[in-house]
Parts: sequence; C-alpha cells; structure tokens
Amino acid sequence: MKIQNLSAEDVYQALLTSAQGLSEAEAKRRLEEYGPNRIQEVKKKPFILRLVAHFTHFLAVLLWFAASLCFLSEYLNPGEGMRTLGFAITAVICINALFTFLQEYRTEKALETLRKLLPFTVRVLREGKEREIRAEEVVPGDVLFLSEGDKIPADARLIESADVKVNNAPLTGESEPVSRNHMPFDGDLIESTNIVFAGTTVISGSGKAVAFATGMTTEFGRIAHLTSAVESGLSPLQKEIVRTTRIIAAVAGVVGVFFFSLGFVIGRHFWDNFVFAIGITVALIPEGMLPTMTLALAMGSQRMAKRKALIKTLTSVETLGAVTVICTDKTGTLTQNVMSVRALWFDGALVNATGVSRSSAHHIFRIAGLCNNARFVDGTYRGDSTDVALLEFSRKVIGEVDVERIKEIPFDSERKRMTTVHRAKAPSFPQGETIVAYSKGALESILPLCDRIEIGRNRLPLTASVKERIAAASESLMDRGLRVLAFAYRDIECLSDDASIETDMIFIGLIGLEDPPRPEVHEAVRKCKQAGIRVIMITGDSSRTALAIAREIGLLEGRPVIVEGPAFERMNDRELRSKLAEREVLFARMTPKHKMRVVSLLQEEGEIVAVTGDGVNDAPALKKADIGIAMGIKGTDVAKEASDIVLLDDNFATIVTAIEEGRAVFENIKKFLTYIFASNIPEAVPYLAYIVLKIPLPLTIIQILAVDLGTDMLPALALGAESPTPDVMERPPRKMSERLLNMRLMARSYLFLGPIEAIAGMFGFFYVLYGGGWIWGSYVPAHDALYLQATTACLAAIVITQIGNMFACRSEHESVFRRGVFSNPLIFVAIFVALFLQLFIVYHPLGNKIFGTAPLDLDVWLVLAPFGVLLLLAEELRKALTRRFR
Amino acid sequence: MYQRILAAVNEFTNSEAAARYAIALARSCGASLSLVYVAGEKVDREAFGRAEKALERLFVEAGGQDVDVSSFTERGDPFEKIRDIVRKSRIDIVFAATRKEDVEKRFFLRTLGRKFMVSLPCAVSIVRVVRMGRIGPRNILVPIRGHMSRIEERAYFVSKLAEVFGSKVTLFHLIEPITRYFHGEVSLSPSQREERVPKDMARFAQCLHIYKIHHEEKTRYGKSAREITIEAAHRRNDLIVMGASERSILRSFISGNPVETVLRETPCDLIILRPKRS
Repeated sequence: MKIQNLSAEDVYQALLTSAQGLSEAEAKRRLEEYGPNRIQEVKKKPFILRLVAHFTHFLAVLLWFAASLCFLSEYLNPGEGMRTLGFAITAVICINALFTFLQEYRTEKALETLRKLLPFTVRVLREGKEREIRAEEVVPGDVLFLSEGDKIPADARLIESADVKVNNAPLTGESEPVSRNHMPFDGDLIESTNIVFAGTTVISGSGKAVAFATGMTTEFGRIAHLTSAVESGLSPLQKEIVRTTRIIAAVAGVVGVFFFSLGFVIGRHFWDNFVFAIGITVALIPEGMLPTMTLALAMGSQRMAKRKALIKTLTSVETLGAVTVICTDKTGTLTQNVMSVRALWFDGALVNATGVSRSSAHHIFRIAGLCNNARFVDGTYRGDSTDVALLEFSRKVIGEVDVERIKEIPFDSERKRMTTVHRAKAPSFPQGETIVAYSKGALESILPLCDRIEIGRNRLPLTASVKERIAAASESLMDRGLRVLAFAYRDIECLSDDASIETDMIFIGLIGLEDPPRPEVHEAVRKCKQAGIRVIMITGDSSRTALAIAREIGLLEGRPVIVEGPAFERMNDRELRSKLAEREVLFARMTPKHKMRVVSLLQEEGEIVAVTGDGVNDAPALKKADIGIAMGIKGTDVAKEASDIVLLDDNFATIVTAIEEGRAVFENIKKFLTYIFASNIPEAVPYLAYIVLKIPLPLTIIQILAVDLGTDMLPALALGAESPTPDVMERPPRKMSERLLNMRLMARSYLFLGPIEAIAGMFGFFYVLYGGGWIWGSYVPAHDALYLQATTACLAAIVITQIGNMFACRSEHESVFRRGVFSNPLIFVAIFVALFLQLFIVYHPLGNKIFGTAPLDLDVWLVLAPFGVLLLLAEELRKALTRRFR
Repeated sequence: MYQRILAAVNEFTNSEAAARYAIALARSCGASLSLVYVAGEKVDREAFGRAEKALERLFVEAGGQDVDVSSFTERGDPFEKIRDIVRKSRIDIVFAATRKEDVEKRFFLRTLGRKFMVSLPCAVSIVRVVRMGRIGPRNILVPIRGHMSRIEERAYFVSKLAEVFGSKVTLFHLIEPITRYFHGEVSLSPSQREERVPKDMARFAQCLHIYKIHHEEKTRYGKSAREITIEAAHRRNDLIVMGASERSILRSFISGNPVETVLRETPCDLIILRPKRS
C-alpha cells in the first residue's frame, strides 16, 4: 500500500479516516498514540553532565586529589599555607574545565530555525466541520485545508486540488514553485505530484489533503533528525588536547608518586615529602595551557571575522588548518551568480550575444522575454538570475513586448521546463491575434516536445540529423562553460490540459548563459593545490558546463572522473569510494541530499572535510562535515545555524584565506606550547634540588602558579597571534598522526630552553642566599626575609628568561631577527604586562602577601637580566645549526 | 518456517497498521493468519467497538489478498490469552504493535511487548508504526551485529517481507572505533575495517541470496545505536528490522540498550524480531 498511488477513497480507508475528517475523540487518541506534530531534538547528554565531565577526567581527578590532600594537610597541620594552595589548585581545575567546556560548547539553534518553518495554526476538517487548531495537534488522518500562503504542517496526500503550487525549497533546495494535484501517482513518494510536505508553502491555488506523517516522521522531520543527531565528533585539536592532557597527567602523576615514594624510602619528613610531591606535580602541569589555547582560538576567530569568515565554534579555527578536502558548490561560491547571455544558436548557426543586432526580430528573443518570470521595475530587474539575464537580453534586442499571459505551467526540477500561454495583441505580434504557447527549459526536456524546427521563415521536420546538430550545438555551448536553455513555441487553437499544450511544438533555438567565475577564485584554487588540499565541485549543473568552469578556474586539468546524480544514486559505497580516490573528480547534476554521503565516505577515508551549503536540506551535511561552511548572503538560517563557519561574502577565496589562518593557528599553538612547557623545567628543578641537595625550597607552589597563570599568559597569547609563516600554504595539510605535543617540541622545551631557565632560577636563588650570608646546609625559616627574597629571585629569573624565550619561540627554525623583532606588536604589550605583574608580585605588599615574596635589590635584576639574552642567543645558535643541517 | 501467524490487534490504529505487516508476511509465506483481539477487563464499550471494527477491516483486507485468515475476540488478560492461543494453535510468530509504554519505559520494563519477548515460545515481532500511511517499504535496513542467533530465521523473515513488498534490503554493520588511552581513536584502513565485519554479515547475505533477495552491504564507522537511525534517515529507509536486545537489564543500564535508542528515535517503521526460542 503506497499512499501516493491510491484513490481518494482508498486514502481515507488506509488512514482510517473519512471525507468528514476525524472525530475529536479519535484525533485526541491519535495524538496520544503518535505524539504531537512537532520537531524534536534527539536525546543528548544533558548539559550538566557535559559540564561535569570536564571536572572529572583523569587530570582533573589528579588535581582534585592534590587539592583534597592540601585541605587535609591544613586541617592536620595548620599554618603551613596549604589551604591557600588547595584553593589555588581548585581554581586551576575550574578554570581549565570552564575553558575547555567553552571551546566545545555550542548552542543548538538549527532546530529552532527549522521549527519556524512550520505553521503555528492550521485549518482542519473534524467531524465534518472546519476548525482552526494548533499545528502541533495535527495527527495522521486529519484532513487539512490548504490555500495560498499556507505553510504545510505535515506530510499529506492531496485529495482535492485547484491549481496548487507549492514551494519545496526547504526539502529540495529548488526555489521554483511546483504544481501539485490530487491524481494517483505511480512512482516514488518523494517525487509524487500528489504529496505535499511539512515545512513547505502553498504558493497558489487551494486544496484538501490528508495528513499521513507528522512530527519527526515527516520528510522535514527526517532533515531535522539528521541535523540534530549527526555529530561530527571531536575536532582534530580537541583530540590533541585530550591526548596532551592525558600524557601530562600521566607524567605528572607518575613523577609525583615516584618522588613521594622515594622521599618516603630515604626517610624524609612526611609533610616535607608531601609538599614536594604536590609541588612537582603542579610544576609539571601547564595550568595556563587550556585558557591560553581558548583565548588564542578566540583571537584567531576575530582575525577570521575581519577576513569575512565568521567562526561559530572556537575549535573550528584550527580544524580549518587541517582540512584536506573542500566540497564546494559552484553557483555563487566559485562563480559570481550573475548570469548573462553569451551565445545563441538559431537558424542553424551559432552566434555570439555581442553579434546580435537590435533589429533582429527572431522568435527566440520574444520567447526569452515572455516565457519569463523576472520583472523590470523602477529601472531594476527582479527575479531569478537566469530569468533576469534572459529578460535583460530580450529587452535589449527587441525592446518591451506587451503581451497578455493567460496561463503558466511553472518550472519544476522534475520537468526541467516552464511554459507560458499568451494572447497576442496585433500588431505587436507577428501572427496577429492568436494564442501562443512558449516553452523554455533543458534541451532533453524541450526537444521531445517538438516535431519541427524553425529555420529562417521555414518550418522543417525535426529529423534525427537535425537533432544531432542541435545536440552538437548544445555541447559546444556547454563546453564553453555556458548553461544552455532550449526554446520552443506553438500556436494554440483552443486551450486544453497542460499535456496537450506541450506537444507538437516548434523548436526555435538555444541560448547559452554564463555565470562567470569570481576573479579571485583561480588564485584560491591554485593555493589549495599548492597546499595539498583537494577541491571537489558538487553542482546541480550539467557535467559539461561544470567541467568547463572547473577547467577555467584551474580546478581540473586532466581527464577527471565525472559522477552525475542519477549514477551516484545507483552506486554502492565501494564504487563511490573508488571514484573519490581518483585524483580529479567532479559531481554534476547533484542535489544537496547527496552531499552527506560524499562527506561521510571521505571522512571514513581519514580526510578532514569542509563542505559548503546554503539550503535547509544542506544542514545534515554541514553538521556531518568537520567544517560546515554556510553562505552568509544566500544561505538560509537553518544552514547558518548548522554550520561551523559562515562566509559573509559567499566567496570560495574566503575559505582559502580562513584555511591559511587556521594553519597559522596550529603553528602558533605549538609555539606557545614550547614557551609554556619550557617554564615547567625551572619550576620542577627547584623541587628536585630541594630533595636531592637538601636545601631550602627555591620556589613555592604558589609562585609556580604565579608564572603559569600570571606572567606566562599574555606572552603565550601574543605568540598565538603570530602571523602565518610565508610558506604556510606551500605545505601539505598536517597529517593526523602529527602530534601537537611531539618529541621535537618536548626536547626543545625540556632539554634545551627549560634547563637554561632552570640554571637562571637556581643562580638567582643562590645569589641572594649567599649574598645574605647563608651557608650550605644551614636552616632558613620559611618566613625569613632572606629566604623570601631568594625565592623571589628564582621567580624573577624565570620571568626574565621567559621574556627571552618568548622571542625564541616565535619561530622554530627561522632567526627572530630575520622574522622582524617588531613584526608582532603584541609581544611588547605582553612583555610590559608580564613585567608589570612581576613588579607587583615583587614590590607591592599585597603581591608579597599572596605569593610569599619580598622586594629585590637592583643588583639582583642586573645579575639576572643577561640570562634572558643568553637564552635568546643560545636559541639563535640552535636555529642556525638546524637550518644548516636540515 | 512460518505456517501459523498471529497478529494481536487492539483499539489503536497502530496495531491495525502493524497487523498489515502480518498480513503481508502471511501472504508471502502462504501461512494462515489469526487476527486476535483480547479485550482487557477495563476496556470500555467504545474501545471494544473500535477494535472489533479493526478486526473486521483487517479480515477483509487479508481475505482480499487470498490469505487464510481467521479472527476472534477474547476477554481477559491479553498476555495470558495470547500465550494460551500460541501454545494451543502452535503459532510460529506473533505480531504486536508497540504501545506508548514500550517507547516511554526504560528497557520496556513491565510492558506487554517485553512480556511477549521474554515469555512466548514462538518468534515475536514487535512493530513500531510511525508512518501509518506508508506501509509497503521500498527499502529495508537490517542492522547486523556479531554473534547473532538464528540467522537463517531472521534472514527468512526479512526475505519474505522484501519479497512481498518488492523491497531492497541493506545489511548494515557498525564498526566500533578502536581507542587507546594515549593515542585516542585509531583510524582504520578500509582493509582493517573489512576485517572487523562479523562473519554473520556474510551468512545473512548468503541466506538472502538463497531467497533471491537483492541486497547491499554497508558498514559505518561509529559506536552509537543512533548511527542506525541516522543511516535510516539519510538513506530514506522505510523499515528497519532489527534483532531484539539480548542484553540484561543490568548491562542495559550500564552500557545502554541500542534497541531502546532505535525504538525511541526511529525515523521509519521498525520491527524488532525475536526469533523462535531454540
């Protein structure tokens, strides 16, 4: 039983309803049974659980444990400052959790915008009476009244119709209205001419329909289900963050436990041992990493917004840099979406549009102008871009033609043609007073309607050889990248049904329209190729037109694999995978519903996929892709809400610019990770010295936090704002196996930069201690001014060397002097703020109180300052050597 | 395999729609069909009347399709009565529609559907009808997991439905991603993924082949049962036929119940099949 091929009576029977509609009681029962006619979100992990997860992962648990021990220690052994430390660690957990959550969190508004496409109230027939009810109360079996302007609340089968035309754009992406009638249809439901779908609108006419699917079981609900249920998963950066924090947590935990056990074995006092274990753990955890990363991504998104790419999820900033494939629409993205007539074929000859004289009165111009829904109002053309181009051209050649239109058989994507019927007013019309039908559309749709062709004044039979000539002419126009439309007409003696109007027509000719590529696209495509990014065009246009455009913009060069929509639907996944594995592939005559399958298969092959879209039915693919890119100008609200990025100018070149920024972001994250990790060594070494050398603790835990969450933050952010290196788009996309935290980065931080800083810190500590008369092995009380000054000197040394490190980390191999010392002004702002903060910690009583510091004499600063320069010079030497031996 | 089919009908429209699947299967298998309405003690006259009318309509419809059909009404506890009929009449498979409680209650605890699944000796198919006007599936999605019992019976069931409706069948298996603590998700090559497809997929396909049912095999990378509903929505499947959950309540509580997820979120009609107990 298929609802579309039943008679009206059988429809009532199948849906257990009648021409009188449902009874109120039955409607109520069905509402209970099938639920409200509403778009619902699929059940997801609750907001609160998602938030809690960030407080309960391994690293957080480790820190919670440390904080609890601090509070326990304060309780058992008060006055050692462990409470402050406990609060500080708790703050670190909260800051990290909130910043990570902030990166991930995104409000789901796509469904809200989908809901707006459904009506609020509808008219139904219940117990033989017309009633207005809330659309949510519509149930299967309800008889709906439809009239012009109505939004359709449910999938329904027409049982009465009077010239019903609906706009199916939310489902198909086609904005042209399509005709619907109540006659049984022998075909697929989705293509049925007697079915109206929820979320679509009645453009004209009226009718009655019986609802057979409501809520999430409608076609519209299907899109909503996909939009809501599909998740693209963690972004590459999020995966790296998880991985990195797990490594750090494991290392910090193991080191902490190891040294605690070691201290226990060698017989250290429990509390000394405990402070040490906590200290070394805190020192090895880069507390500022996640907040810095979030802020760096936020800054990256700001920079992208200035370049017309509006970022909606922070991690998308970096995901863009990892993109390996872009699946892009053609019209409006690669091209300007400004149509113009470029060439014509009539009277058996091809002519360029520029060669058409104003005096030409050929029928083709008349049809182009009259079989057309564009309007010339107040000096401007309004309407669909193809119609506008045809009308403009027609007016230019033959001027205004005033002819009454008495009927229209509208364009629809299945018929691929439109027909208008006119009553001519003599003498403007060559045939005098008559009724004429004009048709325009795809050649394969128009040609079968014709039995003759008009060449000159002669009407000749449409023989096979003539058809071949027409096909050849069409192909030659398409090979020029033109969209080809065919035109035909016939005289009508008496008006009858639509089918008989569109028969025995006379073929007139072809018009080729051009939608020129955007000027900047060629360079953008070249950049993509250079950067190892595949660009796959997915278009509704014919393959020849698409191929010509693709060649013009340099997208395709060899003999690409071309997959057309109908063949695509027949292919199984294995076949499609093999097509996608080809170097050059083009998808033509596709609809938005096909995109998600392409995206899924590419993702399964390990690609990071960006996909463009603008329609409601693009939303699932936009959600599925690693980066969903919606068009800001022509995009629907649903597409914008489902996407990760909105292009404010709909331009493909903007995607490439954003990718360039994204790649720079990954580079910059590595730069500031090197910077942040380097400071972990001077933070950890004092603890090792404390336990191994049995000296006073050179750096307290709270001072470590002052570096990690204080003085290091802004410099790290400044590194996050470094401009891309010149060769950033000359390298292939980073491999997913490339780790954020790799051995090279760790070796540079831990084995080269970190030790220099550690030497500086320990030097500062001993310089002050010995200067104050301390003797090796003697005890210094924790509140002694000399001890406070010594730890302050250690802290100051770390801050000073980190300033040198900031310059060092601006590049991995390139000399900072070649890169330009002043090329990133934020660096100097960061230095100023870091120093200001350090001065506050060292000289302000409040700073002294919080961080356990004491003011330093000038000579200490002067002794420590060269370490910063030394680090920079040592790094320059390393870079020179690596450049030489690379 | 199925010679005697029973369809439980009640006053709700979805039970009538579900019974149409039973009619189709009976026609395809050449089986006899018993349409049964068991009126509970508290059923009012009006509900009784509606169920009786439904029986009448179904009887006429089945008769019109040359199915050997009988219909009768009983009074009492629906589960007890149907269990007795199954035993006495040696019924091979029972069709019943899901009720609101099946969808709402966690793990269908204390629902009639669960009682049927757990206690009836014959095969049981619980049908969730979400599109009452669209019976006659064009394409059927069959999720396949590893270590399935009674594959031949499952394949027979799917084949017979596909045969009568002229449907295409898609066998669908979710390949769970491998994750390692420090490495995160390990991406698998196509050949590695192929290796992880259970042998049951091939056995099921073989059975379909015997019944000359055209089918496609699909695998997806993912671990959530939601992938099944996404696949069904994406490929516009009209019917999902999946096996009943074999997870215990405890395991369902700890690691979730895929059948429950699909039952709640299915975008098309769903049949949960529990084959005959061996």
